[in-house]
Amino acid sequence: MTIDREPDIEPRDAPRDAAPVGDDDAWELPQVAASEHDIIMMARTLVLGPAAQDDIWSLLCASRPVAPKIGPTCVALLEDTLRHAWRALWMRGGARPGAWIGTGARAGTAVRGRLWERHAPAPLPFSAASLELLRWLVSTPFAAPASTLPPLPARPLELGDQLLVYLTLDAARTTPALRVLAAQPFVRAAPLAWLGHAAALARSSEALPGPEFFDALTRGTGAIVLEALSAELARRWYAAELAKRGMFEPDALIAVGAAQDQVLAGFMASCDAAHRRDLALFILEAAAPLQARNLPPTPVHLDPDTRLSLRAQARVAAGALIRAVVRWGAWDQQHRGVRFIDDDYAAAQLLLERFEAIGAAGVERAAHWLADLASLVPTTPTSDTVTTP
Amino acid sequence: MSRAIQIRVSESVVRTVHVEDGVQSQLEMLPILARERQAELLAKELEQQGFQRDGKIARRKDPDGIEVTVDLETATVTVRLAADADLSESIERRANVGVERREEAETSLRDDVMRDLDERLAQRTEALRKEVTQRLERKLGDLRKELDEAVGRATVAALTEKAASLGHIESVVTDDAGNVAIKVKL
Repeated sequence: MTIDREPDIEPRDAPRDAAPVGDDDAWELPQVAASEHDIIMMARTLVLGPAAQDDIWSLLCASRPVAPKIGPTCVALLEDTLRHAWRALWMRGGARPGAWIGTGARAGTAVRGRLWERHAPAPLPFSAASLELLRWLVSTPFAAPASTLPPLPARPLELGDQLLVYLTLDAARTTPALRVLAAQPFVRAAPLAWLGHAAALARSSEALPGPEFFDALTRGTGAIVLEALSAELARRWYAAELAKRGMFEPDALIAVGAAQDQVLAGFMASCDAAHRRDLALFILEAAAPLQARNLPPTPVHLDPDTRLSLRAQARVAAGALIRAVVRWGAWDQQHRGVRFIDDDYAAAQLLLERFEAIGAAGVERAAHWLADLASLVPTTPTSDTVTTP
Repeated sequence: MSRAIQIRVSESVVRTVHVEDGVQSQLEMLPILARERQAELLAKELEQQGFQRDGKIARRKDPDGIEVTVDLETATVTVRLAADADLSESIERRANVGVERREEAETSLRDDVMRDLDERLAQRTEALRKEVTQRLERKLGDLRKELDEAVGRATVAALTEKAASLGHIESVVTDDAGNVAIKVKL
């Protein structure tokens, strides 16, 4: 894991503070500038996630001017912090034993075990974009009006940069900073951010690029990252479905539904092209508890002063995840047709086994929910007092 | 010292506005026979409900102005209500100004009056639109029931036809819940 050292890092002949002072056991604490300290603290808080002791909102509100370059001690500490990104992924679900479709020489087979047992160690590349994001987070006073905050322009992102964006959105998801973050072109250029936080990033009439937008996540190291995040993605999408039931503004619901539709359609197409349909299993895991509790995404109370046509459009848009379940149903039919002598038999059996969480009855119910959402008079949702687990 | 004068601006406007709202939905027709034949059966049921057929479209305009259109090929129903109204508003406003600012003040006052007129008309148009939406919404429950019943009868007719093509129909029994049992001798 390396950080591109140009152009933001100040070159120095030797680290000024990290050297031992004679005795092998006595080390001086590394010393960095105050703004460098804030950058490192921000990185640690994001990477540690729920385990971090720092309050993310306090960190985001306290702005500090950052120097145009950082010193080598800061670079070393930052690299050390980002090196824990894999550990963060284990903590978020990668450590759980699981079965996934293999890649490379094991393509088409089911590979079982924990994340590190299924895959050889792989580098998680970060670029200077990560540093740019951290500097922006430290220097931006998020408590100030959003219109006064400097924008963070888009730039090409490595997989590690995308993960840092995802972790940032995740850390800020319960704070007012989420809206500011979601509006930044830098954040919107990260496919992983869309996959994890589509509802937060939704805007009216914005088209996402095609399925190739998600290709970095369905191949190589990106697929490993997604395997680790799969359970968390399922929880995010489940929570987003529940949130849709409480939405009041039809326009907002239409925007959320359109974004979710594009993300799921693009991602599923990319998974299909990469022969990694298992990466889209989080869709079933998100939908299964909704079906078990009979919780369709029908909004309980849309603004009655708005046009009926707009409310009808919003209800249809709310079915994005359910439409993806129906697409999974079509995939399931294909998996049932894979014969024992076919190369993908083991993978197909794995997908059939995992599809049982929903099953044919679930697909039928999904189709019924979609029909109800699009009907002239939808039935009232079964419950509007659901809390996110 | 300038002399104060009172200026008076009076503006009125009459505007014809058109508001409409509507909703589109899919009728749930089971694919039992060929699409064209099912469309025929649905059309027949709808005609008994007062719809008039025009090619692939069945249309009905209710006395309350609500227009229901069914595309027989795609089984798509569109319910729409429109309203037109002539809205008139007038505003008179006065202001005391120095005589040397008369022209400037009059222009400004007239702009204000026109803006207020536009705002009032927009509010009344929106109120009319809400009324249209509410009328439409009140009707949808009954309409859905009516269309579901028509679709149900068309489905039973399609099933009966299908059964007849398989053999000799011995009996057709319908219970109170609307379930139909067709006994066929092959």
